[in-house]
Amino acid sequence: MSSSTTTTPAAVNGLATSPAFTFSASTFQKLHPTEFFRNFVSQGVRPDGRLLSSFRPTTVHYGVITTANGSAMVRIGGTTVVCGVKAEVAEPKLDSPDQGYLVPNVDLSPICSNTFRPGPPSEQAQVVSESINRVLKESKVLDLKDLCIEEGKAVWALWIDVVCVSYDGNIYDAALASVMAALKNVRIRKPTYEEGVVKVPGGEAADDENSFKLNLARTPLSTSFVLFDTSLTLLTDPNFAEESISQGQISVTIDEQGQLCAISKVGAASSSQTLLKQCVERARKRNEELRSIMNQ
Amino acid sequence: MALTGLRIDGRRPGELRKITSTTSVLSQADGSAYLEHGNTKVLAAVYGPREARHRALVVHDRAILNVEFNVAPFSTGERRRRTKNDKRLLEMASFIKQSFEPVVIAALYPRSQIDIYLQIIQQDGGILQACINAATLALIDAGIAMTDYVCACTAGWVEREAVIDLNHIEESSDTSEVTIAMLPKSNKVTLAQMESRLHVDKLEELLSLASEGCKQIHQVLDKTIRDRAEDLAQKMAV
Repeated sequence: MSSSTTTTPAAVNGLATSPAFTFSASTFQKLHPTEFFRNFVSQGVRPDGRLLSSFRPTTVHYGVITTANGSAMVRIGGTTVVCGVKAEVAEPKLDSPDQGYLVPNVDLSPICSNTFRPGPPSEQAQVVSESINRVLKESKVLDLKDLCIEEGKAVWALWIDVVCVSYDGNIYDAALASVMAALKNVRIRKPTYEEGVVKVPGGEAADDENSFKLNLARTPLSTSFVLFDTSLTLLTDPNFAEESISQGQISVTIDEQGQLCAISKVGAASSSQTLLKQCVERARKRNEELRSIMNQ
Repeated sequence: MALTGLRIDGRRPGELRKITSTTSVLSQADGSAYLEHGNTKVLAAVYGPREARHRALVVHDRAILNVEFNVAPFSTGERRRRTKNDKRLLEMASFIKQSFEPVVIAALYPRSQIDIYLQIIQQDGGILQACINAATLALIDAGIAMTDYVCACTAGWVEREAVIDLNHIEESSDTSEVTIAMLPKSNKVTLAQMESRLHVDKLEELLSLASEGCKQIHQVLDKTIRDRAEDLAQKMAV
């Protein structure tokens, strides 16, 4: 699929370029992936041509699924996700009778990449789902009391389903952005409650007084990085190849007021505090760009 | 049906819904296609030929086909979580597999597996039809050798009128619907499915209507493939 741009064989560093040790670039990448990347990173670029701190082109489309109450499709480079939000009337949880609830779920199925097998959700999918759930809850993105129809009897449950259609790394950023975009896009018909029965009028929810939008207190968006090699070089917006050879992953989630909503760092023991500061700085800039893309 | 002879969505009885199709939409899959029949939206991805998942299933002289469905929970009117083992989905997957088995030249790819993944994004009737058409495009996009296109179309009796390409409202009404998958060059039928009651005399009319529909769909699919091929040829010639 990707054409290998090979005119000169890559020299394995240190060894003489005798015929026995010359490979095409794509073979070299398969045999010594870390070495292959190191050759690029030492020059300040990555194999796909990006600088160490560049992001891949990002697009956001709203309202792609007409059967859902709200939907959005987000593309970051080769990673494409579609998020659909469906509102259902449900009984409130026992300990919060006047609050609705949000149920996010991320689906990574074999259609999006070679690496996923059919079956129950993988650990990666579950971790991403749970991270999004925590951000929604702890950052109080939505006042759940707004979702109440009749206290103790009926509330709105928002089922947020993210389907990954093409996977090329950085699923968390794409999924979170799609969830926020879909929530912005949600329109629900106003229900009536009479004598124990909730009536939701039929027809399309539109921007009129018979439907309501969600009042989002904040829209956190994330920026993810990986740490590469023993030098712990920071690579922003990793693609799949970069994720596979990374030593550690960092994710910074910030809302529109510049408040930190979540930070995650796993792997690669590093004592550098400047590293996290660097990440937060880049995340702030990226956040602004992403917001202007989302508001178009 | 209204007195004007039009159907519930304004179509004439022999009219197909608007078809939108694009190939090579997914960067990770070997072949992919996105197809819309009106509001029914399906994404197909083909991975293969590649190493078979289970050694036990490997056949020494040809490839095995594997079809899997993924129905997005937001695709229907009410959110419904369909498990992977849902019998209806497994049945549909098996139909699709059997429609393509006679057409894919599997002997060219011994000991390997060809995976067809279908993601249903939105449902408005004609799911099996849309999936077969999308799978055809995706297989061609993946460069897998086939003897012909497989084009599918539904036909049914709605309010005593024979119609093609039924939408969800028409399917849910008291109607008998048949899905036909055809090879347009040889006019051979690889799949015929019907689950309701139908008078024997009426079957023939439905079958011929559905074949007409398949031919029309074939033209649309063929145009998509040719346009894409020309596009690629131009880019490569530069």
